[in-house]
Amino acid sequence: MRSASFRFPKPAALLFALGVLCAGPAAARDWSAVRIGVDPTYKPFTFKTPDGQLTGFDVDIARALCVEIKAKCTFVESSWEGIIPGLRANKFDAIISSMSMTAERRKAVDFTDKYYETPTLIITKVGSGIDGSPASLKGKRVGAAKATVQEAYAKGELAKAGATVVSFDSSQQEYLDLKSGRIDAVVVDKFDGKGGFLDTPVGKGFAFVGPELVDERYFGKGAGIAIRKEDTELRDRFNVALKSIRASGTWKKVADQYFDFDIYGK
Amino acid sequence: MNASYLPYVLAGVGLTLAVAVGALMLSTLLGIVAAAARLSSHRLPRALATAYATLIRGVPDLVLMLLIFYGGQIAVNAIVQRLGWGGETGSIDIDPFVAGTVTLGFIYGAYFAETFRGAMLAVPVGQSEAALACGMSRVQVLTRIVLPQMVRHALPGFTNNWLVLVKSTALVSVIGLTDLMYRAKQAGAASRAAFFYFVVAAAIYLAITSVSMLALRAIEQRHHRGVRA
Repeated sequence: MRSASFRFPKPAALLFALGVLCAGPAAARDWSAVRIGVDPTYKPFTFKTPDGQLTGFDVDIARALCVEIKAKCTFVESSWEGIIPGLRANKFDAIISSMSMTAERRKAVDFTDKYYETPTLIITKVGSGIDGSPASLKGKRVGAAKATVQEAYAKGELAKAGATVVSFDSSQQEYLDLKSGRIDAVVVDKFDGKGGFLDTPVGKGFAFVGPELVDERYFGKGAGIAIRKEDTELRDRFNVALKSIRASGTWKKVADQYFDFDIYGK
Repeated sequence: MNASYLPYVLAGVGLTLAVAVGALMLSTLLGIVAAAARLSSHRLPRALATAYATLIRGVPDLVLMLLIFYGGQIAVNAIVQRLGWGGETGSIDIDPFVAGTVTLGFIYGAYFAETFRGAMLAVPVGQSEAALACGMSRVQVLTRIVLPQMVRHALPGFTNNWLVLVKSTALVSVIGLTDLMYRAKQAGAASRAAFFYFVVAAAIYLAITSVSMLALRAIEQRHHRGVRA
């Protein structure tokens, strides 16, 4: 029995494949729906309520901005180390999660103008003899959270002066080790350190030391919204919205819910 | 001690179990196929299965998870954008649950392949020879003769792999899936009682593994009936 075989014309198949691959680029987006990437492990900026709702300064500012740019915003959770890769892999369109705008990060993503700025400080046990200067940390163990500007500073300045930098998943874990004495000092955001440690019962006997650290090389100039480099339209819309919520008092209203001091900085 | 996040953390158990069971099903299937391929008389299946078992077991689970989730997504984006299929967001999203479950299933398939290979080798060769002599096809030999007898030998290794798999589901927290581990981390950060929530998470994983061990021990005893020690 002979079976008839259908031979798909090879040249036609090749042309079809080429045609499909040469289809034009996707149409430009109209930004009526924006996905916002957050890592809700940073109280009081981005965290969860006991019933699993996203809340915090970053989240409320994001919601206010979305109202301004007339977009429907959804939040997408991501781990902190994966948040920039997630943005670049198009898992979300913007990161509003207390991300400091450093030169290093600017190589990978674009930022809007800042929406707040807080300094970094070192915390250590009272009477430990550490005054916060790199020299006083020689031979000591200093904690910092992975992929943060504080870690960049610790590795850049403190390790150079002879300190051992220990990296943690989150600032909460650093405070646990500081309390138990496994590390001698931590480099943290001033308000995370105050609200998350020094003002709690666990933080008794510890204090900030040294001056506020604002070296732009490591800390950038405040926290901004990270956007993919090619999405200039979205970045401009956010900048316009930011100016407008600052001017209208909405920014201050949100900030006053969480802080009783100014966190915008100069 | 702030325990207000307890319900939130406990709600993650369902997702953790879903990922674990999903990955178990995929890895058991891949394990049997790879083990059979490894014991095949043909060179190509044998080479592919050996490469799979060696490479996957040699790379850290975390690296594979990140590679597939972020790297895979970027690859999908590139293809999709060329074809113009993206729709509103310009990409087809790889769902984190699917990515996590498939990655874990793929990784543990390699470990199960080795467990099943050892178990298959423990079944006397005479069994397969007799089956072939009776006219059964290779697939029938595998499914009717080898697999049922292999189960008894595979159970200890299977139990072990399952326990490791359940604990490895914590890895999906790095791709943003709100499983038990990620929820414990979020609850710890929000309530300032990180230690408490990590202990709760540990206790839950221990409960899951303990129940698994009891159940699998009962199954093992059932399979040892009538077998001379």
